[in-house]
Amino acid sequence: MDLSKGLSGAFANAPGIVRSAFVHYDVSDPVEHLARALGVSGDPSAGNETAPEFELVILFVSSDADCAPLIKSAKERFAPAQVVGCTTAGEISQAGYASGEIVAVAFPRAHFAARIILIPDLDLYDPQTVIEQMIRNRHDMMREEPDWGSEFTFLLIDGLSTREDELTSDLAVGLGPVPLFGGSAGDGVDFGQTFLLHDGQAHSNAAVLMQLRTNCPIKVFKTDHLIPTETRMVVTGANPEKRTVHEINAEPAAREYARMLGKDPEQLNTFTFAAHPVVVRIGGQHHVRSIQRVADNGDLVFFSAIDEGLVLTLAEPQNMVTHLEQEIAALSVGGPPDTILACDCLLRRMEAQQKQMTRPISRILAENRVVGFSTYGEQLNSMHVNQTLTGVAIYPPPPKASDATEPEQT
Amino acid sequence: MTHSLIDPRDTLERQNEKLLKISQTLMRRVEQSTDASGAAYAQFQRAVLLEEEVGARTRDLERALDLLNESNARLAVANRETEAARSDLANAIETIQEGFALFNPDEKLVMCNSRFGMHMPDIRDALKPGLSFTEYVTRVSASQFLSLPDSERPEDWLKRRLTRHKDDHVIFNVRMIWNRWVQVSEHRTGDGGTVILQTDVTDIMRLERQERDRMLDDQARLIRATLEHLDQGVCIFDAGARMVGHNQRLVELLAIPVVRFHMGATFASIFDRFRDKVDFSNGMAPEDIENWVATRDHRAPLSFEIRQGGSRTLAVFAQEMPDKGFVISFTDVSAQRAAVQAIREVNETLEQRVMERTLELEDALEEAERANASKSRFVAAASHDLLQPLSAAMLYVTSLEKDLPTQAGQQVLAKASNALQSAENILEALFDISKLDSGRTAVMVGSVPLGSVLAQLRDEVQPQAHKKGLKLSIVLPEVNVLSDATYLRRILQNLVSNAIRYTEQGRVLVGARRLQNAVRIEVWDTGPGIPEDQQDIIFGEFQRLNATASAAEGMGLGLAIVDRACALLGHPLQVRSIVGKGTLFTVEIPLAPPELALSSPTAGILPTGTAKGLGNLIVMLIENDAELRGALSLTIEGWGADVLACGSEEEARALLNEIGVAPDVIVADYQLDNGRTGAQAIQALHRQVGMLPACIISANRSTELSDECAILGLELMHKPIDADALRGFLQAAQPVH
Repeated sequence: MDLSKGLSGAFANAPGIVRSAFVHYDVSDPVEHLARALGVSGDPSAGNETAPEFELVILFVSSDADCAPLIKSAKERFAPAQVVGCTTAGEISQAGYASGEIVAVAFPRAHFAARIILIPDLDLYDPQTVIEQMIRNRHDMMREEPDWGSEFTFLLIDGLSTREDELTSDLAVGLGPVPLFGGSAGDGVDFGQTFLLHDGQAHSNAAVLMQLRTNCPIKVFKTDHLIPTETRMVVTGANPEKRTVHEINAEPAAREYARMLGKDPEQLNTFTFAAHPVVVRIGGQHHVRSIQRVADNGDLVFFSAIDEGLVLTLAEPQNMVTHLEQEIAALSVGGPPDTILACDCLLRRMEAQQKQMTRPISRILAENRVVGFSTYGEQLNSMHVNQTLTGVAIYPPPPKASDATEPEQT
Repeated sequence: MTHSLIDPRDTLERQNEKLLKISQTLMRRVEQSTDASGAAYAQFQRAVLLEEEVGARTRDLERALDLLNESNARLAVANRETEAARSDLANAIETIQEGFALFNPDEKLVMCNSRFGMHMPDIRDALKPGLSFTEYVTRVSASQFLSLPDSERPEDWLKRRLTRHKDDHVIFNVRMIWNRWVQVSEHRTGDGGTVILQTDVTDIMRLERQERDRMLDDQARLIRATLEHLDQGVCIFDAGARMVGHNQRLVELLAIPVVRFHMGATFASIFDRFRDKVDFSNGMAPEDIENWVATRDHRAPLSFEIRQGGSRTLAVFAQEMPDKGFVISFTDVSAQRAAVQAIREVNETLEQRVMERTLELEDALEEAERANASKSRFVAAASHDLLQPLSAAMLYVTSLEKDLPTQAGQQVLAKASNALQSAENILEALFDISKLDSGRTAVMVGSVPLGSVLAQLRDEVQPQAHKKGLKLSIVLPEVNVLSDATYLRRILQNLVSNAIRYTEQGRVLVGARRLQNAVRIEVWDTGPGIPEDQQDIIFGEFQRLNATASAAEGMGLGLAIVDRACALLGHPLQVRSIVGKGTLFTVEIPLAPPELALSSPTAGILPTGTAKGLGNLIVMLIENDAELRGALSLTIEGWGADVLACGSEEEARALLNEIGVAPDVIVADYQLDNGRTGAQAIQALHRQVGMLPACIISANRSTELSDECAILGLELMHKPIDADALRGFLQAAQPVH
């Protein structure tokens, strides 16, 4: 394991293209620790040329932390790099599954150009404006770095907004050929409030859209380890706006769900939902409709869109470890990625915990330089999905004389 | 699966209720009549479907993009290769010395190197790919650097050039200004394109020109030297009948002033000078020559003679040269003509002289022949005349033997006999020599039993050898040789006699050595030997080495006879001798072929019979010589026979008529009086009295006589008569009682 310990407990991965570092939220001045670990120069105003210049720094902040002052400090410390972030339902650091951490992912200017759009209010935004801005940003970056050939869009959205489908649908038009992926910000397992961090401020019911252009080859992916069974149920009563199902098979939802599982309705918890997801089948594909919790009135609250008349199919999870290995192998066909920026569903972590697969999975994640956070949901292009591992694999750029290798600093 | 959809514990009614609700919900869903609150899911659904479609399209695009990239990559590779090949080619053609250009089958320039268009800077800029061939040659023809002869215009050159271009391979030289030369070679490529190579041959041309000039100089010098070397006078005229060359000899021969005789002088001006001074031969007139010179057609060579001043003759030969000029050569043939004349005269006188000489020789020959003939006649007559009395004398002497019983008388008789014998020998020898010399000797070559001859010889000479105390050994080979018996006997007899005569002590050996087809008789003696310088002389007449030997022992004629006889018979005769040791005479005689009959003329060789009485044999003798007749009668009567001696045929016939008794045997001399022969006489007698044994005696040893006798069945004995032989004949002729 190539981890090098920074000055005060901050860990950084071996120098690659994309840098990352993590620090416990509890340490004093975590931002400084992160800055040192990432190799950002001590005195930004002094202008240390040997330090790598970063275009963008993303912070995945544990919901335990106080993110408002954090982001403020980060903005100053990492300047002139742009700093964004969100709260999480858990982190994925260089050690794999983590919690209570602040994970920083830094994109050096030498390889990345980034434009950021904040949608401060998911209830009140004009899709058209956003789209136009997106298109403008994209062209700007094309002008700036015409030789760089890879583009992707990273979305961070409030996971309790219930607005993910709408937003992704609206934004799809403006994507063009650029793939989009993203994750829904979380609040641990409290499901209380989530925050999006942008420009030194924390927002709720908001979304942060990052458009990146790079000379590194990239691959956006979505994967899940679930296989639909033959057991179906019909949603006979639901409140789509609130993503709640109150009646399945003309019976109270939770009770009927539990019956179909053969479980006690009083014993339903996140682990159960993780272990027994339901999927909807559209076209030839299945899409997980993850259950968030059981409401007090016995309604099932979902993480994603539902409607009356949906046929839900129970799905069986495969072996997570095997599946993850296969997926990583598939991503490494052309060579191992430099970094995998991942949005991993909370429920996967839950299932891993329940099945005591956390360590092997963490190992795999760490070995393959996966960084990111655990989400309340994931986005891919125009879809909002659940119970997936979605992200982007960033590969080292092909050797070219024009790209000077950054002088490494620890 | 349906059973789990509905809790089986429910009542049927409840189940039905539930199922109804489920179906209603589903139906509503299917009909898509959900309200706006379901918008989120609907959005999701749409999003999913859209995603699928987009995904599919994206995959298609990606595939298309991959293919495109692949083909782009291949294209890029191909382009690079093409470019590399092109670059290689361009580099290659740039390194060669020649100017190089390639035109494609459409006659457009594909590529050329920097040397193409050499020496023509004004067209260089136009030499870019795509230039058409016609355009190229047009520019060349119009280039100010092209140097054309005055007679040729650029358009002409251009036309010619384009015509040449049609050929597959063309090479020609192009001249540039400043005396530069370029050799252009054009070749058609396999696909119909054209390759043009230009080589700067200026230097080569210059060198060639220098070489040619030098050669011309050399040639000119060579020609001049050759001309001067010739004994002929030569002058050369060009096509305009102007003189372009001559040699000194010509001037000498024609005696023309040099002034007239310069380069460029016309033929007419030279000819005028001397046409009147010379005589033309062979019917050639001066006008003929002028016409020949003037004619434009092809001229056949002209040949004639001219005579100057009566003493000098020149042979003239005029010939046209390839460039329509002509050359005339003059050869002084005066000496030749004179020589020819002299020879002719000599020839005539020679014939005359030959004729004269021939006549002289004929006369001489006639005289010689006459002399020869008369000599022969003389010899024949002399010998005959000499031999007759000699023969008679010998016979008389012989018959005296019984009348002289006293010792002294016998001795005297013996001496007389010896003397007579010697005389006879000498005469015989002379006779033989004469005959041999006259060349009229006929030889009868037949198979001769050598052994018998040698045996007889041994008997004859044995007493002689014994008397001198010499050991005599004679080998008797059992061979038949091809020779004349008589002469062979004479030869061998002479050799052996000589050997005995000249050897005082020691031995005489006669051997016969077999050769391939001959026998070599060797007569060895241990005499004094013959010095080498005398070995030829001994064969001369009357040559005797040892002059002290008495005349009785021969007069040195023996070897002369032997020599001539051997020559006549073709038997090689040789002598070898070592003074003080001895001498060897050899005679090579060829072997007789086996088919030759053993019957050899036995004339002269008769078995010597023992002396016996002839008791009452009646012998008719016809001999015209009285002396001999008397001698013979006496001899024969001495043997006991009765002799009817007659001098002629008539006498004989008369006698027979008279006595009425037929003789037993006839002995007749061949040569009788009145031209009658003994043979005729015998024949007449045969007619009269029937066949009787008859014998001809004669000094004539010719073959004609012996042939005649043989034909007539008559014995022949030569004079001087061998008494024993005669006796033997008579004995044989005795009728059997």
